[in-house]
Amino acid sequence: MEDEISPVTALVAAAAEGDQQAWSELVSRYAPLLVSVIRRFRLTPSETEDVAQTVWLRLVGHLDRLQEPRAMPGWIVTTARREALRYLSSGRRLEPNDPLDPGFQAIAADLEEPDEGLFRAERHEVLLAGLAELPRRQRDLLLLLLEDPRPSYVEITERTGIPAGSIGPTRSRALERLRRSPRVRAYVESAERSELSGGDQHDAATLG
Amino acid sequence: MTRRLWDDDERLLEDLAEAVRGTQPLADTIAAQAEGVLSWRTIDEDLLQASLTFDSSLEAVAATRADPGQTRLLVFTSAPLSMELEVNQDEVVGQILPPGPGEIHVETPDGTEYSVSADESGFFELPSLPADAIRLRCDTATGRVVTDWVRL
Repeated sequence: MEDEISPVTALVAAAAEGDQQAWSELVSRYAPLLVSVIRRFRLTPSETEDVAQTVWLRLVGHLDRLQEPRAMPGWIVTTARREALRYLSSGRRLEPNDPLDPGFQAIAADLEEPDEGLFRAERHEVLLAGLAELPRRQRDLLLLLLEDPRPSYVEITERTGIPAGSIGPTRSRALERLRRSPRVRAYVESAERSELSGGDQHDAATLG
Repeated sequence: MTRRLWDDDERLLEDLAEAVRGTQPLADTIAAQAEGVLSWRTIDEDLLQASLTFDSSLEAVAATRADPGQTRLLVFTSAPLSMELEVNQDEVVGQILPPGPGEIHVETPDGTEYSVSADESGFFELPSLPADAIRLRCDTATGRVVTDWVRL
């Protein structure tokens, strides 16, 4: 039954009432998405922290208007993008735009093909948005399975309370739910559409 | 029939792992830093929330690079009170609208705050460009209002 419910709605409502624990869980759920969004603007870690702080502060002011959990990722993504843009355009940030700056080179050296980097960032964003909404047990399990080195089943059982025999099935259900989360589904469908239209062109060329 | 993206559990988990690892350790840091932020929750029901509805720095990004010498205009809107801020280099001036006198409290995330007064025309000036995020709480005859948090 727990599999069917995203706790985000309840967390938002509880945090709006001042529940510190709910707030902590909410921020740990959405912190990876937030970092992933801000990262696209190539800010330094300390600048990323500044932008994140503004987003959290703003979120506290808007908690009572965000009862619909589907609004959460969109709100976080939009606010983070705006704040990162503001940060970039504010007069206080001159150095990092200078290609001669050592910090800039370190970042530039890290970049792949711009397109590939963009697709990857987009994929990451939708997956992290989906992960943030998963029921607690499913999210905990996936996060454990992603650890490197991966913990043993015995350890996973100890840390999550999921019996060894249920780890496999819980994992499949968690991944299926991730697949069905609104943002992931929308992304897969749009990727499919662009592939289809590419295919049509190809067929037309072949037929012609 | 081609398989859909992420149909495969292993592939999905792999991409998810890459996504999550790419945000570490920064995600943990910003989550930890967010802990105390809930104390900024507004409990006061009579306090109006003025949302940031215009920021010229975003328009500048859309058009061309921001001119460093340019004045930045921010508008916070609520009914019946709004507030406008203009940032020019290190100078920050503002106005309460509709114009009228009032007390402006400048709050920062670490809990420190100071006040400035708005004159009959609603004009006020901050002593310096705040280094941190701020929000303005404003008491006037018309009502009490608090703005969104913003980094100037």
